[in-house]
Amino acid sequence: MTWTVIIVVLTRISFAILSLLLCSCDRLPETYPPPQQRPAQALTPDPYAMMVEMNDPDAAQHIVKDIYEPFGSPWRWTSKQPTVKMLVDASDNIKLSSDFAIWDDGFKQTGPLELSFLVNGHLLDKVKYATPGYKHFEKAVPPAWLSADTESTISIDVDKLYVAPQDGVKFGIILTRVGFLR
Amino acid sequence: MHAALTVLAILFGWLFTVATAGALGTLLLRKLSLSFYRWEERLFAFVIGAALLSAIVFVLCAAQLAWKPLFLVLGLAIIFYALRSGAHHPRGGPFPPLPQRWRWVFLVVFGAFTALYFINALEPESSPDGMSYHLGVVAKYQRTHGFPRITTDIYASLSEGIEMLFLWAFEYGRHSAAALVHFAFFIVLIFLIFSYARRIGRPGVGVAAAIFTYASPVVGLDGTIAYIDVGITAVLFALFYLLQIWDQDRNPQLLVPIGILAGFSYAVKYTAFIAVPYALCFIAWKSWRARKPIVRPILVVSMLALAFILPWMVKSWIEVANPFSPFANRIFPNPYVHISFEDTYRKYMRVYALTSYWQIPWQVTVRGDLTTGLIGPLFLLSPLALLALRFREGRQLLLAGLLFGAPYLTNVGTRFLIPAIPFISLSLALALSGLEWLLLVLVAAQAITCWPNVVRLYCAPGTWRLAKVSPKAALRIQPEEDYLNGNLGYDMARIIQSSVPANAKVLTFSQPGTAYTSRQILVGYEGAFNELLQDILWTPMFRDFQPTRILTFQFQPRELRRVRVVQTASVPEAQWSVAELRVFAGGRELPRDPEWRLTARPNPWDVQLAFDNSPVTRWRSWQPPEPGMYLEIGFPRGQTLDSVIVESSGDSSAAKIKLDGLANDGKWTTIAAAPTESIRPNRMSLRQAATAELKARGVRYLLIIDDTIGANDFRSYSKLWGMKSVAQHGVARLYFIE
Repeated sequence: MTWTVIIVVLTRISFAILSLLLCSCDRLPETYPPPQQRPAQALTPDPYAMMVEMNDPDAAQHIVKDIYEPFGSPWRWTSKQPTVKMLVDASDNIKLSSDFAIWDDGFKQTGPLELSFLVNGHLLDKVKYATPGYKHFEKAVPPAWLSADTESTISIDVDKLYVAPQDGVKFGIILTRVGFLR
Repeated sequence: MHAALTVLAILFGWLFTVATAGALGTLLLRKLSLSFYRWEERLFAFVIGAALLSAIVFVLCAAQLAWKPLFLVLGLAIIFYALRSGAHHPRGGPFPPLPQRWRWVFLVVFGAFTALYFINALEPESSPDGMSYHLGVVAKYQRTHGFPRITTDIYASLSEGIEMLFLWAFEYGRHSAAALVHFAFFIVLIFLIFSYARRIGRPGVGVAAAIFTYASPVVGLDGTIAYIDVGITAVLFALFYLLQIWDQDRNPQLLVPIGILAGFSYAVKYTAFIAVPYALCFIAWKSWRARKPIVRPILVVSMLALAFILPWMVKSWIEVANPFSPFANRIFPNPYVHISFEDTYRKYMRVYALTSYWQIPWQVTVRGDLTTGLIGPLFLLSPLALLALRFREGRQLLLAGLLFGAPYLTNVGTRFLIPAIPFISLSLALALSGLEWLLLVLVAAQAITCWPNVVRLYCAPGTWRLAKVSPKAALRIQPEEDYLNGNLGYDMARIIQSSVPANAKVLTFSQPGTAYTSRQILVGYEGAFNELLQDILWTPMFRDFQPTRILTFQFQPRELRRVRVVQTASVPEAQWSVAELRVFAGGRELPRDPEWRLTARPNPWDVQLAFDNSPVTRWRSWQPPEPGMYLEIGFPRGQTLDSVIVESSGDSSAAKIKLDGLANDGKWTTIAAAPTESIRPNRMSLRQAATAELKARGVRYLLIIDDTIGANDFRSYSKLWGMKSVAQHGVARLYFIE
């Protein structure tokens, strides 16, 4: 008798749970209308997103070679061929841009410098600087040299290096920023 | 003072839970007039009471009534009622006295390991799964006073029978109280092993088997953190034990605790579902052999088991449309867990980092690095346990061990062997019971080789084990934060907690210590939505994910009511994806009409991703391509078309497609058997488009660990992604999408 009661009670509870279960079923939709359309090229990235600032805490992520530690300054000394890597947000309408300086005292030793600007190994331009001081370089990069998927390398080849008389360390230019601009 | 109060709160949470469970269990056992040995009654009372308390907490959570004061009142009422009913007065006689030699062996070894384990359980919880999901979900339930609907965390869909008890303890003593509840199951398991052997008249076997299990490194660690493997082992062993008593006594009242524990096994862990067929077959077989009625006991046990199983199935069905979530997604397709996740998960769990299954014996007993933990070198002698087949009890033990250990085939992690360990331990001790001196030597060997300082001499570096304990941390003399600092999961949780606003969502690819933060965290692989976000975020970084393949179907203009791109190949280990599906007439793309009806098989829920004009979103099959899968556009009225373009990616190049159409006559025909393919290189960075999609889905924060996929890219090109780093701690960096 006891067992019959238990079985009846448990059966009733099970039916109640199953009924609840069925009530809870809610078919998910399986057809949908087209969603809101994403407008092509509506995004406007930061104009300096493709530049490496030498005082950026993450600048080291972009430096490939020949750029010294900053020693607390917003700029960094380079060596023979400072090279950075950078992604472009699109391969069209891109310019290489760099701000740098040629040190007065170094200039006295080296004389005029010839700088070669390279993108992914392609020579973009070769410029002779006959005076020391702040310089700016900017020139359009052919789209075929760039890819939006892979990082591009930018190198500035310095033809003559300043050699520090006290320890023989060699220096090229004083780099503030380098990268791509749209 | 604060430290002392914290420890008191932890101990209260733990003891209150144990006392409530014990009281509930005792009340039921007394109500059923079941008689056991004195020790047995206490042990069964805890395990059965744990099942009942877990069910009560489930009901309270389902009703959004999981409030601390209610727990307190209810718990005190249960304890008070049990005391008034005289539940604290022991019933049943004691076991025959233990031989002096075994008594001392047990006291010394058990005492030494208990001191170690208790300290570990009392320490701030820092175990990976404990602080990420066992307590992660508990903390969520505690904050919301019930079950919030969680669709982005596979772990929240698992059955959580023991987590319900963790919640009861967590309300008062937080994380460590929960770990101590698991430790209580551990202690109960050891005494169940011991008692079972005493019941069959082999106390020496009991001491030896209890020590074999207790000292085992993986059991020792697992049983003293907020995991559930040792808990489920205690439940399974109690079930086995009760079945053996029922086999002797044939007391029908025993079927009640048997049914409860069979169901509770599933409620604690899916892989323990085997307890239900085991109990039913055992009862059916024994009843049939004894020429007794079969149907009635089977019905009682099944109904009671179902009462503990069904609530978890219903919860999953309601929340994520799959009663067995996160598994069985092929049978119950749903938008919350991808089939590909389930396939990958199963595949990984079957191998871990092993290169051959022959590595398993050495790995799980001695080295432990590839299978996450070790059970101890003594278990290399496990084959000797087969000698126990000569005893009736040995055959029962080995059968149960085989069955409860069977889920190991689906997950070769060492801790998945834990449910079989008490049975192996008892069988091994039973097999050697004729040689008492040998048993004593083996007990000594197990105790020595499993002591943490000795384990490190032979296990592989980095093996998951109890390396050291810190009484200062356990007693909170060393502040909890100090102790946990440097633990990656905890650090991630703290960064999130301190830098992310209350209602914001954080996407991450690594598992943080969710139990230590109240923010909503979306872990990449833990749900379909999270995987979609991850896919969006990875598309700019992986060329193979980008929509560079243009597949064109061109045909004579014809009027169609529906058009379908049908996949025709069977490709294991791949997926089919469509970034955009465009239809043309007279050389012009037809603008997408709100009256179109879009669908897909499988995964209809994501079909809009193939029609949103975004290069970083795509509809994916999220399972290997099979013939007959399709994407479909239904037009409100006949629509003339002359070409269809499918934009797809390199990673689905193995999929083959054709174009079918439904004409006005209601017949489906194949319009083109294959497309022409061309490549359209991507000339734009898709990074900002990806973060814009995350933003559109309400996700503004991204937590990235240094060595995870894309970490360097996020760091180097955060501006291109349109985000900025807002916090950093160790190797974890938090980004905000601007």
